[in-house]
Amino acid sequence: MLSAWKGGTPAHKRYLVRTMAFMVPYVAICIAMMTTDAFDEVMDKPAGWVLAAAVAAPVIGQIWATLSLMRESDEFVRAVTAKQFILAAGGAMAVAVFWGFGESFAGAQHLPAWLIYPLFWAAYGVVSPFIRASN
Amino acid sequence: MKNRLKLLRVERGWTQEQLGQALGVSRQAVIALETERHDPSLDLAYRIAATFGRPVEDIFENPHA
Repeated sequence: MLSAWKGGTPAHKRYLVRTMAFMVPYVAICIAMMTTDAFDEVMDKPAGWVLAAAVAAPVIGQIWATLSLMRESDEFVRAVTAKQFILAAGGAMAVAVFWGFGESFAGAQHLPAWLIYPLFWAAYGVVSPFIRASN
Repeated sequence: MKNRLKLLRVERGWTQEQLGQALGVSRQAVIALETERHDPSLDLAYRIAATFGRPVEDIFENPHA
């Protein structure tokens, strides 16, 4: 991330700042949910929906940050970012569909739907180094 | 798309960063153009041609000719 900051364009730097702004609260809520009992009292209550919205909001923010990067960048960066995003989203959706049908018809263990987001970013990290051309 | 961008840039003693600034694109975009990993839009191709003071055909090989 440091090299991306040093060698990045102003648009990339803004993207990194925006990403951190959205990712830090998202990760903090997820870690608190997984490692503490902090949110147990909102379970099955309307406040549970507030918690769900609080985790979903940074996801929407991140999409905005990505679209802003594309808008503020040149045509090459725009095209490569779009390819990376499409491949990562497609890969994550394919895995989710595969596992969902596995749950319904093959007795696979149930996994929470929110895992699609970290799965998407894992896929983004895997495909990005290989997408270096727009054509 | 095959092109003479690197040759023209080196002839003028410009760095990729300098050419990027002249064209209003990132250094990444200049590298991608020089290594044929990006086919420029018509707008960018004309900007490149104007920067070097040459017709587009002198810089980019027409793959359909």
